[in-house]
Amino acid sequence: MDFFTRLLTYVTFGSTRPIRRLAAYYGVLVVIGFLLFYFLPALDGLLSGEHLAQLAQTPSLLQDALAVGQVQAPAISLASRVEFGLSTAFILLSTLALMLPVTWVYMSARSGQGHNQAIVQALIVLPMIVAGIVLIVSNSLALAFSLAGVVAAVRFKTDLSDARDIVFVFLAIAVGFAAGVHAITIGLLLSFIFNFVLVLIWRYDFGRAVLEPTAASQWAEPLGDLAGKDQGGNTVPDRDLVLALTPKKVEALAERFERVRGILGKNGKKPKFDAVVTITTAALTEAQAHLEPALDDVTKRWKLDEVVTNTGKPSQLYYLVRTRKSVSRDALLTAIRASGNGHFVDAQVEIGDAIAKEAGEQRRERKKQEQPA
Amino acid sequence: MISERYWAALAVCLILASACQPANDELPALIGSSTAVARETRLQRGLADHDTAVAGAPLAQWLLPPALQEISGLALTRDSRLLVHDDEVGQVWEIDFRRGILVKLFALGSRVVKGDFESIAIANDVVFLLASNGTLYEFPEGASGAQVEYKVHDTGLKKACEFEGVAFAPAINALLLACKTAYAPENRGQLVIYRWSLTGDTAARLTRLSVPLAGVIGSNGWKGLHPTDITVDPVSHNYVLVASQEKALVEITPAGVVVFARPLPAMHHQPEGIAITKDSILIVSDEAGQRPAMITLYRWPE
Repeated sequence: MDFFTRLLTYVTFGSTRPIRRLAAYYGVLVVIGFLLFYFLPALDGLLSGEHLAQLAQTPSLLQDALAVGQVQAPAISLASRVEFGLSTAFILLSTLALMLPVTWVYMSARSGQGHNQAIVQALIVLPMIVAGIVLIVSNSLALAFSLAGVVAAVRFKTDLSDARDIVFVFLAIAVGFAAGVHAITIGLLLSFIFNFVLVLIWRYDFGRAVLEPTAASQWAEPLGDLAGKDQGGNTVPDRDLVLALTPKKVEALAERFERVRGILGKNGKKPKFDAVVTITTAALTEAQAHLEPALDDVTKRWKLDEVVTNTGKPSQLYYLVRTRKSVSRDALLTAIRASGNGHFVDAQVEIGDAIAKEAGEQRRERKKQEQPA
Repeated sequence: MISERYWAALAVCLILASACQPANDELPALIGSSTAVARETRLQRGLADHDTAVAGAPLAQWLLPPALQEISGLALTRDSRLLVHDDEVGQVWEIDFRRGILVKLFALGSRVVKGDFESIAIANDVVFLLASNGTLYEFPEGASGAQVEYKVHDTGLKKACEFEGVAFAPAINALLLACKTAYAPENRGQLVIYRWSLTGDTAARLTRLSVPLAGVIGSNGWKGLHPTDITVDPVSHNYVLVASQEKALVEITPAGVVVFARPLPAMHHQPEGIAITKDSILIVSDEAGQRPAMITLYRWPE
């Protein structure tokens, strides 16, 4: 299985897009089938729908009834028994090969609402059983009636919550029938076209009510909540959006949120930091050694948040800082630049509540002007 | 990315699979085998031994493989090769009836044709298969394993009869279609043979030969006669019919005069096909039933 997965990855040039991987799977199946039918022409009957395997069985010597002395049933050779067994095994395995991608599509298309594992397993096994029954019944009316009697005696009932699940079960039966009557080409086309139609329907959300919002607009609000200001109450992001994330993305997102919480502080408390100092420098170590003592002097607290090293151009140091009320932005920036001692290419300060601080400074200025009057 | 071991294993599998293919040069070896030579010698001796042969005793009898369990018709080519076919599928086998060898098999169409095929005839090197509703499938003889193209002719006799026998009458360049079960009122109580000319326009192609059944049955006590195949004696040009239900063998002249009508030997459980060679061998085929399918060879005329 691992080999096959790697083969698909190889054929699709590492693509993870479902349609490409499906196309690659069927392509590999067709190549394998072509090789099999090329090197084993006796299997051709399984594709054409007829037992053309007999074409390769001549010439052969007929049994002499007079020499035998009495009329006997012609002996079935070991080779024909082996061939029969192999062709039956091929038919059953081909149903497995054709239904595997159907189960993948089923699991993918139903991942949002949760798929039923029992149906997945039934989709694999059901066509094998159907093919086996068709092989047994063949053209015998008597066997068909017997089968109907036996099936009538076995009663089973199950509820399928979604009409689409029933369609998958019908497809499994159809593929089983096709394999059972030696028409694997029909089974292959059924599986192939069904899967691609389903993936396209799923991709474009075909059949949605036009008055309902699109998936994009449904996601717009939670994404806005996630990125925008908290306007009272904690809006939980869309559940489907969260469920759609891969574990790796969840880890990355959690790490970012953790950093944001570290910056903003716990709920009900003032943020620990309120500004970002960005230093662009070609000498990271020297810049750090000169800047950090200066930050001790002009800020309440500081923390080295990120170092971005670049090749061929200057690197960046990002510091989170808590500014002092007594030190204005200009004074802070001047002190930082002065500490550089020629090692800084550039230095910037972004204060989170700059507008509020500016308004506060303007109020203080106005008060100062009013007091002498 | 993919280990070389997998490619090597795949290559070994393909080489082994190709080695399992049947060889195409088996026929000369089979024909030259001691068994085949002994069989042919025995047949020649049986044909020549007029004095000591038991009347009605078969010269040879070959059991047929499962694929030919529903063997239906027989036909001889110009060079006396025997072609046979199955009831339900458009496939034609060649049998070396002198040595008991299944020589080749070819099929109609790129996808095998299904139908209720009842008889086969060869006219001027063109093969015809007859379906029970009177439809004729025309095609050339194919090589071993070939899938040949075919044409379909509607004789327009669907409502007249159920047919099970066809033969080529070279003297009139026409196919003879033996009526097994009469549907049309004018065919009831008659042994009916339609002649379908291979030349001429559609309207003038069909002529009908009818012989009162009472005259054919004679003292045999049969309730009717349901011919399952027909052939033309290459020497006398008479029509020879076999009937499975009555297990009967009937010979009539092209003018409809009954030469004889008698039962077949008891060993024939379901005779469905008949052919007569130029060197006077009568070949009768039986479908599988209580016994396996087979073809039986007799001296002709007995």
